[in-house]
Amino acid sequence: MRFSHVSCAENCGLIMDPECSRLLPALCAVLADPSQAVADDTCLEKLLDWFKTVTEAGSSLLLLQENPCLVDLLSHVLDLKPQDVSPRVLSFSLCLAGTFAAQEDCFEYLQQGQLLLGLFGEAGPLSWAAWSVPTVRSGWIRGLRSLARHPSGLHFLGDSGALDALFSLQGDSSLFVASAASQLLVHVLALSMQGKAAGSPSPQGSAWPTCAQKIVDHVEACLCSTAAPQVTQALNVLTTTFGRCHSPWTEVLWGQLSPLVAHLLESDPIPAAHSLVDLLLSVARSPVFASADCGLWETMARMLSCLSPTQAGPLALGTLKVQHCPQALKSQAFKILLQPLVCILRATAQAPGPPGLLDETTEGGSMTVDTLLSSKSACVGLLCQTLAHLEELQPLPQRPLPWPQTLLVEAAVIVLQLCDGLAAPSSSEGGRLCGALAGCVRVQRAALDFLGTLSQGTSSWELMPQVFAVLLETLESPASSPTVLKKAFQATLRWLLDSPSPPTCLNLGPHAPLFLKELFPVLQKRLCSPCWEVRDSALEFLTHLTACWGGEADFREVLLASEVPKLTWQLLRDPESYVRASAVTAMGQLSSQGLQAASESSGHPEGQQGLVGELLHILSVDSEGFPRRAVARVFTEWLRDSHADVTRDTQWFVATVLQMVSRDLDWEVRAQGLELVQVFLAQTLGQPNPNCPYAVTLPKVTPPSPLPEVLRTLCQLHIFDFVFRALFDCDRPVAQKACDLLLFLKDKTAPCRGLQEPGDSSDVTSVEATLQRWQAGEQGEPLGNLEPEEVLAALRSMDLKGLQSRLAESSDHVEKSPQSLLQDVLATVAVLEENVADCY
Amino acid sequence: MPEIRVTPLGAGQDVGRSCILVSIAGKNVMLDCGMHMGFNDDRRFPDFSYITQNGRLTDFLDCVIISHFHLDHCGALPYFSEMVGYDGPIYMTHPTQAICPILLEDYRKIAVDKKGEANFFTSQMIKDCMKKVVAVHLHQTVQVDDELEIKAYYAGHVLGAAMFQIKVGSESVVYTGDYNMTPDRHLGAAWIDKCRPNLLITESTYATTIRDSKRCRERDFLKKVHETVERGGKVLIPVFALGRAQELCILLETFWERMNLKVPIYFSTGLTEKANHYYKLFITWTNQKIRKTFVQRNMFEFKHIKAFDRAFADNPGPMVVFATPGMLHAGQSLQIFRKWAGNEKNMVIMPGYCVQGTVGHKILSGQRKLEMEGRQVLEVKMQVEYMSFSAHADAKGIMQLVGQAEPESVLLVHGEAKKMEFLRQKIEQEFRVSCYMPANGETVTLPTSPSIPVGISLGLLKREMAQGLLSEAKKPRLLHGTLIMKDSNFRLVSSEQALKELGLAEHQLRFTCRVHLQDTRKEQEMALRVYSHLKSTLKDHCVQHLPDGSVTVESILIQAAAHSEDPGTKVLLVSWTYQDEELGSFLTALLKKGLPQTPS
Repeated sequence: MRFSHVSCAENCGLIMDPECSRLLPALCAVLADPSQAVADDTCLEKLLDWFKTVTEAGSSLLLLQENPCLVDLLSHVLDLKPQDVSPRVLSFSLCLAGTFAAQEDCFEYLQQGQLLLGLFGEAGPLSWAAWSVPTVRSGWIRGLRSLARHPSGLHFLGDSGALDALFSLQGDSSLFVASAASQLLVHVLALSMQGKAAGSPSPQGSAWPTCAQKIVDHVEACLCSTAAPQVTQALNVLTTTFGRCHSPWTEVLWGQLSPLVAHLLESDPIPAAHSLVDLLLSVARSPVFASADCGLWETMARMLSCLSPTQAGPLALGTLKVQHCPQALKSQAFKILLQPLVCILRATAQAPGPPGLLDETTEGGSMTVDTLLSSKSACVGLLCQTLAHLEELQPLPQRPLPWPQTLLVEAAVIVLQLCDGLAAPSSSEGGRLCGALAGCVRVQRAALDFLGTLSQGTSSWELMPQVFAVLLETLESPASSPTVLKKAFQATLRWLLDSPSPPTCLNLGPHAPLFLKELFPVLQKRLCSPCWEVRDSALEFLTHLTACWGGEADFREVLLASEVPKLTWQLLRDPESYVRASAVTAMGQLSSQGLQAASESSGHPEGQQGLVGELLHILSVDSEGFPRRAVARVFTEWLRDSHADVTRDTQWFVATVLQMVSRDLDWEVRAQGLELVQVFLAQTLGQPNPNCPYAVTLPKVTPPSPLPEVLRTLCQLHIFDFVFRALFDCDRPVAQKACDLLLFLKDKTAPCRGLQEPGDSSDVTSVEATLQRWQAGEQGEPLGNLEPEEVLAALRSMDLKGLQSRLAESSDHVEKSPQSLLQDVLATVAVLEENVADCY
Repeated sequence: MPEIRVTPLGAGQDVGRSCILVSIAGKNVMLDCGMHMGFNDDRRFPDFSYITQNGRLTDFLDCVIISHFHLDHCGALPYFSEMVGYDGPIYMTHPTQAICPILLEDYRKIAVDKKGEANFFTSQMIKDCMKKVVAVHLHQTVQVDDELEIKAYYAGHVLGAAMFQIKVGSESVVYTGDYNMTPDRHLGAAWIDKCRPNLLITESTYATTIRDSKRCRERDFLKKVHETVERGGKVLIPVFALGRAQELCILLETFWERMNLKVPIYFSTGLTEKANHYYKLFITWTNQKIRKTFVQRNMFEFKHIKAFDRAFADNPGPMVVFATPGMLHAGQSLQIFRKWAGNEKNMVIMPGYCVQGTVGHKILSGQRKLEMEGRQVLEVKMQVEYMSFSAHADAKGIMQLVGQAEPESVLLVHGEAKKMEFLRQKIEQEFRVSCYMPANGETVTLPTSPSIPVGISLGLLKREMAQGLLSEAKKPRLLHGTLIMKDSNFRLVSSEQALKELGLAEHQLRFTCRVHLQDTRKEQEMALRVYSHLKSTLKDHCVQHLPDGSVTVESILIQAAAHSEDPGTKVLLVSWTYQDEELGSFLTALLKKGLPQTPS
């Protein structure tokens, strides 16, 4: 092993190495000098990251004592005239001071010099002009956040007036600052309560520690305020508190504040309704309240009944996800969630549905089409939200029971028909809905997603004809946009693959074959679409369907009778590279399943061999990486599955593919080539040793041949040439993979006794010399015809383990190291004026 | 209060990654979705958690608009759409849609190659993201939904770059993205019509710079390349696959042709072919000269620039190589740099900006001894040159665009705070409009006064014209009618027509008032006195005394009654319709003054 523990730690930047320590004074001098500007604003962030890593791994106090320039920098920033301080450096200094003060002894050390009070107290940057810059306010909060880790830090916060500043920063003009202030208040509240005895807190207000008391008082005052922003701020603090803290004191807190929260419901409209919903859900989710009632459910029920359907949706969904929520509340929430769909079903009902179905689910639901259609955009928004919420709920174990699957499928179908303009509602309300939703892509997308999800759990196959009909309509419709078509294909796939088949049916069920007969002409049409997105989605659909159903007689019959295989073949020459890649994958799949017969009648009399030739052609000449990568993947799969075209002459196949792949400019193609080699080696030498003793080893195609013979074959096929070249590839994943492969080979060949020992007679020096030149980046010269002995000798002489650990590191770890960062910051200062900040 | 709200999540007082949220008339739009190349962790992407604290992103955002294919404008898009979960429409121009995935793919490959990152978007994600894109043409008004429309304008900068106008009703915002107000070798200058938006959001990279002549920079570049190859050196130009690279290729190609030079020029990774394809496909997006000469000779079919093979780097003799990536942070450009760095005859020309943590950044900051892997030190003896060829509008260009669009206010993004401050003052002084420069996370709120179009029925107009409107046709005039709001349309019609259309019966609203008068006479006599008084006062009106004892003046009805408690007081009950409100008020006031004394 070349890397000792210490050097690794240095590389990771965990400790302050001497070189960094040497550069620090210069860095601090640059930062402290207002006339010097630091070029890249990411540098300061990265410096902070580094200091954080260093202080987390060791003593901050020691760090400051060994590097006094750091404290000098902080003092210097305070000594500067406020107008001279660069906001970026000030913000950096605040964060840095906080990072150091996170350790209590270091906090005391900095406090001795009144540094912390200077930086975070009322007389510090809080009162400077730079305070108007959000970065400074943000840095101030970040500094305090790091510092607030121990009792001394907590006292400091209480005494320095920082809490009051934080209260006002909750309403900051910067979202980032306001949010950070709110988060810090929660942190301080939690920390001060944590410091309190672990015993049960007293509900009396006087029992709260000072900082906590101050925060709770502030929250109480805000909740009573008539100004909506203040109420929102208080609710946000509480939401985060109940979300993060699950100690018994939160129950006391809720007991104290819940009357104020409940009081908010009495206003009309309810102030900060969104935040209130979040708070109630946060409390409901807290394990502290799992067994207690605390009036929460009642408040939620009231809230559900007060809010508009759009506002109530998230609360209803959240309520239904809470495990221990009372049944009555769940029913109320579910009714609210279903309302828009029920309203649509009612308005479009052609004939009375199954008795009582609508009544059952809509008891109390009072939404009318008028409410729903009060504005078109509101209607679209509500419908999309409802469909998405139900989609989220559908797969959850805690979804309401009974789950009205039939009603939901019908609703999704009717919504899609309304969007397609294909619904013919007899009522005037239905007509208005049709007018509002016709051609609405947003709703269409949401409904298709939802319908796709509903394929799971549909136990009744009676629903399938109408589902397939609407999907077919959408797929056929000339008005369907590419995104809609993609989703329609996805939903169709899900319904086809998940569809239940009656117990008497042996294969695809009664509906699928009929549907497939109608589907394939549409698929053909879509494969010829002028939009590449549509052609690609159609190919992806075909690939997935073939992978699952390639063996089904019904499917094979319909597919082979169609033009689809021929069209797929033609798409191998598509002008769009994404489509070519998908066509390659689809053809690979069709061919694997023996479904490529149609190509013979399509001007490719050579049939299967023609496909190999076509794919090899793509691999060698296609100007884009995607199709070449797809070909390499297909070939690997074919080799793995012993595809007939491959087994006809496996060695020729492997050699030809590798010859092309080795020249490829796309490293992912080269990496895929190594994957192919790995499969080939596994087939000829046996699987690599599985790490798990219980792992199932795949049956070998042919029993492994004797090792010397295998090695000879590998040499003849120039596989070593390819792998060694890859080992020194400038793209790291290729090198890594090649290294793993060679280690596998080394492992396999170690017990090889049939070959001579190194240096016995064969001359390996020329091989080694070539490999060294390759390592140096000169790869022009080939290895020539290798002998197995030379390979074995080379394998034995190489430090592959060492190389493997070197390759495991990121290729830019040197540039990313702290030392490099410091050098960059210092070097940039000198030339900053020359090269003004630029971009692309 | 209607308002426009703008919150930059990126590009607010920085040039890192553009991502600006705009809320206009209830519609929410994201302008650009860029990535910061200077970070290797999640900080490279904008913090999307701030977009909506409640609800789903797809429900909140109406659309995302991408101005051009540079990664600081589109690099976070696959992350946003495939990993964060935005599933709505994405708009960009056709060339951007074609080129964007190439650059994203390039970046992904480098990120994965360099660090073996697993938590990064995949090729499939890039493709799925691009499938959500709706491509737009220049000057085509695209309806995102019934209310929101967008329109693209030519921005120069790079192929397919566009400025976007976002419009809801009468309110509009223009976002420039990056733009260039002076044409270059292959692109034209940005242009926008006098669309007078409520707000113009403009980039301000060169807010304080008046750029020197491009010709000088080009001459300088060619001279340096020429001198190097003349003395047998090799020139490496690290570039990003598409964009400014093509500008430099045209420059070198033309120069080689003119000077009849034979030294080979290579372009790595087969991108010339791809670039060629796209530049041919989108020839309408290039400048006039290229379009004109296209028939005789396609400027992008390079005679002297050939595809590079990795083995060529070791060839002896001079050559020029364009290699990716542009910051020497991985892959081929870095590999070639390592080979050539030790020879003082060679030269590397950095045509663009490099972030910290790259070899490009190191050599540009003057570092000449670079630590490499395994504690090796690479001594850089080759010459290092920095020549910015980025195509942004300079201060003059920005002012020119503001003048062209005539916005009500301006908001600066994509620039440094100090420079922005200077430009802000200049804009406010010169154009007398407010100019904002929010930092990331800060929201600027602009109140707007939306004008709502109202249709007027012809009948109503004719009636008004008959009442003498013609004499002062251009003066604003008060028009009475009934406003009907239906299906988000507003129409002003006569009340009769409104009643008819809505199938409503007419109801009359009457105002009533009681006037108490000290008088002992009987009610009938009182009414008679009122009649005489009004008859003499209101000579132009029709005053009648009805048989039931009441008095009428137009629609105003006056009845006299006795006071229930005080026989010395009489009560006059006055009632009038809305139409006669003025007269009714006048009469009430008149009667309150009392009746004239009758001569005894």
